[in-house]
Amino acid sequence: MDNTITIQQMNPFDKLLDKLCLTPAGLLGLVLLFALPFIPPFNQEYLIRWLIYCGFIAAMSIGFDLTAGFISIVNFGYAAVSGFGGYTSALLVINLGLSPWIAMVAGGITAGFMGLIIGMISLRLRGIFAACLSWFFGLAVMGLATKMVWLTRGPLGLRTPRIFETDSNVPFYFLIVILLFLTYLTCKWIVRSKMGLAFQAIGQNMDAARTSGINPVFYRVFNFTISCAIAGVLGGFYAHFYGILTPDVMHTSKTVEVLAVAYIGGRGSLWGGAVIAFPFIFIMEIIRSSLSNLPGLNLIVYALVLILVMIYYPGGFSYFYDMNIRKPKNKALRYFFNGRN
Amino acid sequence: MSNNIVSKFLRWVQSAAGFSITLTIVIAVVSSIVSGPYLIVNTIVTGGMLALLATGLSLMLGVLNIAMFAHGEFFMIGSLTAYYVFTPISQYISENPESFMAVIGPLIAIIGAAIAGAISGIIAEKLVFGPLRKRSTDNWVMNSFLLTVGLSMLLINLHQLIFGADFKGIVGYWAGMPISIADVFISRDRVMAFVIAVFVVALFWFFMTYTRTGMAIRAVSQDITGAQIVGIDIEKIILLTISLACALSAVAGGSLLFMYPSYPAVGLEPLYLAWFVVILSGLGNILGAVAGAFMVALLKVVTVEYIGSGWDFVVPSALIMLILIFKPSGIFGSDVRGALDQ
Repeated sequence: MDNTITIQQMNPFDKLLDKLCLTPAGLLGLVLLFALPFIPPFNQEYLIRWLIYCGFIAAMSIGFDLTAGFISIVNFGYAAVSGFGGYTSALLVINLGLSPWIAMVAGGITAGFMGLIIGMISLRLRGIFAACLSWFFGLAVMGLATKMVWLTRGPLGLRTPRIFETDSNVPFYFLIVILLFLTYLTCKWIVRSKMGLAFQAIGQNMDAARTSGINPVFYRVFNFTISCAIAGVLGGFYAHFYGILTPDVMHTSKTVEVLAVAYIGGRGSLWGGAVIAFPFIFIMEIIRSSLSNLPGLNLIVYALVLILVMIYYPGGFSYFYDMNIRKPKNKALRYFFNGRN
Repeated sequence: MSNNIVSKFLRWVQSAAGFSITLTIVIAVVSSIVSGPYLIVNTIVTGGMLALLATGLSLMLGVLNIAMFAHGEFFMIGSLTAYYVFTPISQYISENPESFMAVIGPLIAIIGAAIAGAISGIIAEKLVFGPLRKRSTDNWVMNSFLLTVGLSMLLINLHQLIFGADFKGIVGYWAGMPISIADVFISRDRVMAFVIAVFVVALFWFFMTYTRTGMAIRAVSQDITGAQIVGIDIEKIILLTISLACALSAVAGGSLLFMYPSYPAVGLEPLYLAWFVVILSGLGNILGAVAGAFMVALLKVVTVEYIGSGWDFVVPSALIMLILIFKPSGIFGSDVRGALDQ
């Protein structure tokens, strides 16, 4: 009851923010993201390319977190599902001449279908077994993509047309930021509804959830489907941005990259991974390009941060934010960080 | 009396374990009759090495509940150590080919690999798993699994940073003519790799079954609290288990150096295969892992033979998925749900 009254009392701006699941700080961040390609150090093409990669990983980590953070199943074949969506989309454009936009959606639908399959076959499994199953599924899909040379050209790489016929990277950047926001919005809406509670109940204790009348079959399969569909659309974006697809995009190490960002950002928060991805991946790219005589250094930092976070600060960035930044004494600041609710 | 044995045998064949073992033997015999005995030789050599890897992996799973994703990286450490130990030895051998070194040199390299694996396992426990265990054991299986993911990434890239990404391989360990068994020529290295695998697995089995320490390890794997009550030092057992498991993996890496030259990501394929074995035979089941290793090896060899190389990930992983779906506890596993099942 209280909740409805407060919503009625909100002014339109707060109501909009609430609908968009943003706090004023989040809105500022989003505006900043849109303005970023025009701010001097970032307005060079190669930096925008990095930013696009940051956005891609950020969006992937949100989709990944929907499964890992809420129903506590690590989908180890996430990159493979994403690559599958990318390949579907690319092949549709090349062989049937569809527009990349429709093909991206089709990639998302097929990847969602794949998620449906993974969700169905992993229903009986928990924890590590489900992770293994999705991992082997990913391996099998990657093996198929490598071996079906007549269709995917295998390791030679599949040339795909880009979405925008320009050399500039800026439109791609805007597209990925919009996709990132849409991903966030979709996941947040799902999580905010009753379904989110059901997800958390299943994630914490499946038997208890079942006893209290939650049907885990539907929720788990639904969760996998949505999460994989997001991966598929993003895979389509990846395919039509880089213009070349190799089975390497499905590799387990890509999943690990997404996983690291999602966990450093804080599991179960959705926004944590997205926020952390931009500075984190960007710094990694700087290390990679400026210390190119020390190959692999960026990934060492990556792995070290993941290990340290897992051992000493398992809540990740979002926990840190909630504990230390979110509750300032100042009223205006508190509004800025928390919004009206 | 004989009737009783026959009926017992028939019942065993009808159980999942018996059925799959019988099927494996039948497939092995049929395929080697159809395509030649080299299939069975390949299976046995690959299976021996896989058994080493998989016993280490299932030891980690059974005793420590750590789902090791970095197991392949200890394979890599083993092969790297063996390479750096064996390179000067092989130079010495090429100068004095008649010396005693030609026989025991490779063994020194492999033992060096085992020691390096054990030490790196202890370091990993001290720096990575120990702190996590001290902080919290909530949701231990998943958290430690993710830690090993990070560890794997760290080790792969450390290798790349320090030793470079190029292939560090050797021509062969033991020089000399290949040995001929049943019209199949097998290089001495392969024979020796198999002999080493059998020797190490047998030693390991003996250690686990008959020594007090081995019994203590098994006790910890069954019930940590109970083991603590009867006075077993858990910390010591954990250290010993990790170093044993990593040493087993490193021995596999060291003795397969002639097949898998050392490079950063060399451990991935052995890792996948070892995981296939472990899932097939049931998590934490050490003896089952040995049988499972030969099954997976046969599956891989038969796939490569009849479907083509490169499919040896697709077909086994599809089959393992079927096993996970229909019998998640593995063909030799019991249906009791353990700590790993959360």
